[in-house]
Amino acid sequence: MNGVHDLGGMDGLGPIDYEADEPVFHAEWERRVFALTLAMGFYGAWNLDMSRHARERTPAAEYLSSSYYEIWLSGLERLLDEGGLLTRAEIDARAAVLRAEGS
Amino acid sequence: MPMLSAKDVPTLLRKGGAARVAAEAPAKFAPGDRVVVRNLNPRGHTRAPRYIRCKAGTIDRDHGVFVFPDTHAHGKGPSPQHVYSVRFTAREVWGDDASPRDAIYIDLWDDYLDPA
Repeated sequence: MNGVHDLGGMDGLGPIDYEADEPVFHAEWERRVFALTLAMGFYGAWNLDMSRHARERTPAAEYLSSSYYEIWLSGLERLLDEGGLLTRAEIDARAAVLRAEGS
Repeated sequence: MPMLSAKDVPTLLRKGGAARVAAEAPAKFAPGDRVVVRNLNPRGHTRAPRYIRCKAGTIDRDHGVFVFPDTHAHGKGPSPQHVYSVRFTAREVWGDDASPRDAIYIDLWDDYLDPA
């Protein structure tokens, strides 16, 4: 697909902000999203190329305004939904509970 | 679905995820061959960047046989085929304002390429 993820040769995206001693993960949820995506791949729920394609199908405007692991979360939710493992409603309901708990 | 246990994870992380496959597949090209990237605009997944389509380059080396992402991403099988490092001059890709000394090497699958 000719998606917004295919950034090569595009101008106007601003400078790359390099962070000194950048940690692998900036928050615990990033670690969890990454681990879930890989673990369910090893489990056989999807393969590497399916998960990459799920991330690149993040809607263009959302993709460009998302952090790296926000795009991974978007892809994971898409894989869970399309794979029949969770529905959008279940994901949204759980997110609402966590939001209410302030976690 | 197979069970994934915690004790299997370190091994899987070490060697899992490799897209290189043992399957035999004929190589369409050899190092030194001139190729042109097909004008591909699939609705699904592809690893051929937009900016390299219709550009001509030279096979630099053959990496071996790998899973083809364009089919594998859609559950249509691994379609194992050769992947090459293909050299494109910067001027071929970005035009006459690019440095004559620069080049870009892109890993491309057999099905992305035609003889130039």
